[in-house]
Amino acid sequence: MNCRECSEHLYEYLDRELTPQVEQEIRQHLSDCPPCGEHFDFERLFLDFLRARCRAEGAPPELKRRILRELFDE
Amino acid sequence: MGYSMASTPPPAPTPTPAADAEKRASFEREALVHLDSLYRVALRLTGNAAEADDLVQETMLKAYRAWHQYEKGTNAKGWLLTILRHAFINEYRRRTRHPETVDLDAIEPFSVFEELQDDDPQGTFFDRIVDDEVLRAIDELPEQFRETVVLSDVEGLSYEEIARVLEVPVGTVKSRLFRARRMLQGKLYDYAVGMGYIKGNAT
Ligand SMILES: [Zn+2]
Repeated sequence: MNCRECSEHLYEYLDRELTPQVEQEIRQHLSDCPPCGEHFDFERLFLDFLRARCRAEGAPPELKRRILRELFDE
Repeated sequence: MGYSMASTPPPAPTPTPAADAEKRASFEREALVHLDSLYRVALRLTGNAAEADDLVQETMLKAYRAWHQYEKGTNAKGWLLTILRHAFINEYRRRTRHPETVDLDAIEPFSVFEELQDDDPQGTFFDRIVDDEVLRAIDELPEQFRETVVLSDVEGLSYEEIARVLEVPVGTVKSRLFRARRMLQGKLYDYAVGMGYIKGNAT
């Protein structure tokens, strides 16, 4: 696998969407190729950052009460 | 391909107190547990809390009425998100945001990593960007990119699940996700430069 092929699979790799075989080939390339390794690390950091920043928000308790009332206490 | 309702829906069970109790229990167990996810997606689609409330309430109501059509133990989250999205498209989008048509080729994928390779290859500037700024950047994405990135990066759906909710091929999910993430990186990078967290490369 060369650098171009490797970077084409960037997000599929980080999203765990590849077959085990391709995933293994990429893991191998990343350990052999520091520039690609650094790039993938950066992108993984970005995705972790996105998830961490967006997951905190949940439904307001009043909405849940409203829905329960509407569904079950007609 | 999508999480559509069965073409010949099974008849609704005859309501008896026992059947009602069972319906309620299974709905709470399999559907209401996804309330937070539905709310987060609704908030990003409508862009405001009052409409997100209404959209989620309507989704739950529709889902409860159609509950006998949902195949228990399958992907309730995907099924609910599909209902939510249809309700949004049919009733809310007209009133809130307009669907943008996006010329994919006009978007130049901007690689923040390449910009930062020398200054901040570890991306430490991310740590200084607060939640609200990230949400604002997501809200500024064109709708088709916004919904894809929210289902993936906020709700953790697989490409296949996203494709079913959005009713598009998996390849479309991949290309939207790629562009959406690059656009987000670009926005957050510009923000970080503006705030002085990193030096921008003057061009
Ligand atoms: Zn390489």
